[in-house]
Amino acid sequence: MDMQAALSLGLPLGIGIAAIGSGIGLGLIGQGAMQAIGRQPEATAKIQLAMIIIAALAEALTIYAFVTMFLLKGKI
Amino acid sequence: MGLEFLARVRKTSTWLGGVMALMAATYVSPLLGLAFAAGALWSLVNLQLIERLVVSLTGTARGTPAGTRTSGFALLGMLFLFASGAVLLVLLSPEALVAGFLLPLAVIVVKAGTKILLGSRAWRGIANNRWRAGIAALALATVTWFALGALTNAGGQTPEHSAPTSEHAQTAPPEGAPGEAGSGAAGTATPEAHGDATAEPHGEASEEKEEGFTNVIALLAGAFPHAAWAHFLEHYEVLVFSLFIALLLLYVAFVASRNPQLVPSGLQNGVEMVVEGLSGFFISIIGPKHGPRFVPFLGTLFIYILSMNLFGLIPFMHSPTASLNVTVALALTVFVYVQFIGFKELGPIGWLDHMLGSPRDLTGWLLAPLMLPIHILGELAKPISLSCRLFGNIFGEDMLLVAFASLGVTMLPFQQLPFGIPMHALFFPLALLGSALQAMVFTVLTSIYILLMLPHEHHDEHGHEAGAQHAH
Repeated sequence: MDMQAALSLGLPLGIGIAAIGSGIGLGLIGQGAMQAIGRQPEATAKIQLAMIIIAALAEALTIYAFVTMFLLKGKI
Repeated sequence: MGLEFLARVRKTSTWLGGVMALMAATYVSPLLGLAFAAGALWSLVNLQLIERLVVSLTGTARGTPAGTRTSGFALLGMLFLFASGAVLLVLLSPEALVAGFLLPLAVIVVKAGTKILLGSRAWRGIANNRWRAGIAALALATVTWFALGALTNAGGQTPEHSAPTSEHAQTAPPEGAPGEAGSGAAGTATPEAHGDATAEPHGEASEEKEEGFTNVIALLAGAFPHAAWAHFLEHYEVLVFSLFIALLLLYVAFVASRNPQLVPSGLQNGVEMVVEGLSGFFISIIGPKHGPRFVPFLGTLFIYILSMNLFGLIPFMHSPTASLNVTVALALTVFVYVQFIGFKELGPIGWLDHMLGSPRDLTGWLLAPLMLPIHILGELAKPISLSCRLFGNIFGEDMLLVAFASLGVTMLPFQQLPFGIPMHALFFPLALLGSALQAMVFTVLTSIYILLMLPHEHHDEHGHEAGAQHAH
C-alpha cells in the first residue's frame, strides 16, 4: 500500500473514530447536565454554561482530527 | 406615479442590478459583471439627475436662486456623467454596459405594467377565486419551466464553443475542457472529471472554487488579473474582510452612541441591550469585583468573532475565521493578554508561584518541579486549542455548505439549467447556531483563563478548588 492509498483510507477513518469518541463524550455530558437540571432546575443557567464549555472541549477533539485531515489532504 | 414611484424604481434597480452584476461576474466573466454594474450605476445617476432637473425646473423652487443653482448643478453633473459614460464605453464591454443601462428602464416598464395589471378587472377576477388563481399560477410555472428548458438548451450550444477561451484560461486544466465550461454540472457529474483530482470541482465556476464559495475579492482579482492592487487584495483577502468587519462595527458603535438619549430607541436601544447582556454575562462568570474591568475586552472579542463567523453566510462574502491565520491571531492576543493580567495582578513572584502550582507544604514543594512543565504546557496549549477549535468549526461549516450546494447543483435533472436546488439552505440554521456557539465558547474560555489568573480571594472558591484537587 503506497502513501496515497494509506492516506485516503486513513483520513476519513480517523475522523470517524474521533467522532465516535467525542460523540460518546458529548452524550455523557448531555446526560449529566440534563440530570443535574432535573434535580436543580433553579441552577439551569450555570449548568448550561458549564455544559457548553465542556461540550466544546469534547467536540474540539473531532475538530483536531478534521484539521489534521485538511492539513494532510494535499498529499493524497 | 410620482417621485415616490421613482424612488421605488431606484431601490429595486439598485439591488436587482447588484445581484445581476454579481451573477454575471461569477457565471460569465468578472469584467462583464463590472461593466454591467457600471452601466446600471450610470443609468441610476442619470435618472436621479434628470429627476432633480425636472423638479427644480417645474417645482415650487422655480425661479428662486436655489432652484437655479440646483438645475445648474444637475446640468453640470450630466455633462460629467456623459463624459464618464464615453470613457466607460471605451474601457469596458459596450454590450454589458448597455444592458446595465437598460436595467432601470426595464424596471420602470415592469413596475408600470404590474401597476396597470393589478388594477385591471381581469386580474381581480383571477385573484379573487382561489381555484382560478391556483390554475393560473400552475400554468405560469409550467410555461416558465418549459421556456427555461428550451432557452438553456438553445443557449447551451453556443457557450460550449465560446466559453473555453474566457473561463478555462484560468480555471481548469486542458484535458477537462470540452463540455465542462458551458454545462458545468454535467461536467462534475461524469466520473472521468472526478478521476483526476485536480479537475474535480471547477465545473460550475460560480458555486465553488478551489475551496469555498466565490467572494467579491476573488471576482475583482479575476476581473483585473494583471493589476497589482487586485493581487494584493486577493493575497490579503482575509485581512481585508476582517478589517472591513471591524470598520463596520466601529461605524455601528459610532452611529449608536453619536446622539445618546436618556430613553433609547432604535439602534441605540439594540446596542445597549447587547452591551448590557454581555456585561451581565461576563460579570456573572468572573465575579462582580474584577468582572467590569474585563467586559470591554471580552465583549469586543465576542461581537467581533460573531460578526466574522456570520459574515460568511452573506452571499459573495467570506468568513475571516475560516482561515487559521485569523484565529491564531485572536488566540495569541488572548494568550498575551492573559499572561499580562497574571503578571499585573499576581506580580512576578506570584506568577511564578502560580506556575509552580501554589506550593504551601512539603508535598507541594516536592511536586513543584513536576508542576512547572505541566503548567507551562497547559498555558501553551490554550492558544492552540482556542484557535484550532474556532477555525475547524467555521471552516467545517463552510465546507458543509459548499458540499451541499454542489450536491444541489448536480442532482437537478436538467443539468444545463443555470441554477440548482438550494440544498445547503437546510444547514443555515445549523451554521447560525454554530457561529454563535463558537463565538461564545471562545470568549467564555477566555474569561475562564482570566479568572484562573486572578488572585483567588473567595474562601468558598478556595475550598471548592481544594476539594476538586483532592478528588483527582
